[in-house]
Amino acid sequence: MASVSSHRQDNQSVYVLHTYPFKETSLVVELFSREFGRVATTAKGARRPRSAMRGMLQAFQPMLATWSGKLELKTLHGLEWNGCLLLLQGEALMCGFYLNELLLRLLPREDPHEALFAYYADTLKALASEQHLATTLRRFELKFLQELGYAIPLQQDANNAPILMQQHYRYEAEHGAYPIRGTLARYENGVQLSGKTLIDMLNDDYSDEQTQQQSKQLMRYLLAHYLGDKPLHTRQLLIELQGY
Amino acid sequence: MKNPPALEQLIDSLRCLPGVGPKSAQRMAYYLLQRDRQGASGLALSLNNALQVVDHCKLCNTFSEQAICPLCESAQRDKTVLCVVEMPTDLIMLENTRAYTGMYFVLMGRLSPLDGIGPKEIHLDKLIKRANDGIVTEVILATNYTVEGDATAHYISELLRARGIKVSRIARGMPMGGEIEYVDTGTLAQAMLERRSVFK
Repeated sequence: MASVSSHRQDNQSVYVLHTYPFKETSLVVELFSREFGRVATTAKGARRPRSAMRGMLQAFQPMLATWSGKLELKTLHGLEWNGCLLLLQGEALMCGFYLNELLLRLLPREDPHEALFAYYADTLKALASEQHLATTLRRFELKFLQELGYAIPLQQDANNAPILMQQHYRYEAEHGAYPIRGTLARYENGVQLSGKTLIDMLNDDYSDEQTQQQSKQLMRYLLAHYLGDKPLHTRQLLIELQGY
Repeated sequence: MKNPPALEQLIDSLRCLPGVGPKSAQRMAYYLLQRDRQGASGLALSLNNALQVVDHCKLCNTFSEQAICPLCESAQRDKTVLCVVEMPTDLIMLENTRAYTGMYFVLMGRLSPLDGIGPKEIHLDKLIKRANDGIVTEVILATNYTVEGDATAHYISELLRARGIKVSRIARGMPMGGEIEYVDTGTLAQAMLERRSVFK
């Protein structure tokens, strides 16, 4: 690590999450770095035709970044390729955008999450192989919320009793699973699911079809709870595309 | 001291330009009113005129003064191939190559999931209708080789393939006259991954 006094960080492992125009020829580049978490930088002149950084600012590629500055918005000095090219195509690419949107929305700036960084890198590799995209996303969503510090109890219900395979539960954000006694009623809050789904998720086993469905509903509900009123653009886009 | 209301309004209007903040807008307004009043009235006239006469071509969606642009009307063009580009500037670049004689469709943007730019903004329904005219046999996707351009190409190709239209994507790799020593790593890696057989 570079000395703190110069506020310069050399060759940090990063991924580009997103870029957007800034002033006339520059870009704001949102980075996800191993050691510093999410960092916002400006790439000066990156929108000029001959900018050396122009072609480099692509998401989903492992890179080494050098930046400096002590304010929230740092100055990006350089980017270099780090490791082999990752190819996300088609649906996997859209899943990648989804991951990036989650990170941009829920990960606070400059809050280091080394384990999450490693898991993000692994998830991109799994997406690139284009197998079991849904399962890959479920694993990431769960890991992501847990890494951010949200408790998602899967082992015990809200009354601290162990989760039972055959029992039906109503899962509520911030609380956990409440067993449903008697007939299945319509509840205002939470998601209804079977104990087996929670146990499967705990054991990282998504082979069962019902588990796949219910875990998707559960994660969608939990993410919506933490994301608040503003829906995810990537989900909205996929819904719109299905209309064509 | 405050600016007169009309000047204040001009400054405010100039801020709709991309990359123009309050400072730049004020500088521009002062310049137009003080140093170049003739240029300013020319600007006002041409802006007004352009707003009235320029619309999108019904076929290719690019800017045009006629309902159908001259390129789409030309009898010299090959009507069986349709090249999809992101912006009118991309169309001009491809025309400069003189290597392509087919038709175009200009999306006027790209899918950008993180900015909330979706299928409506890039006129996908118009493109599908255009490609389904019964004459087009091949659609060439010439969107940018950025992650957004790739996503756009993927969704267009899925939609068109489902409707039985042949789809291709422009190639990428080593630039013309490119020397391996000086080419960037990403391009080189891509060129290696997408190499092609020499003997056909």
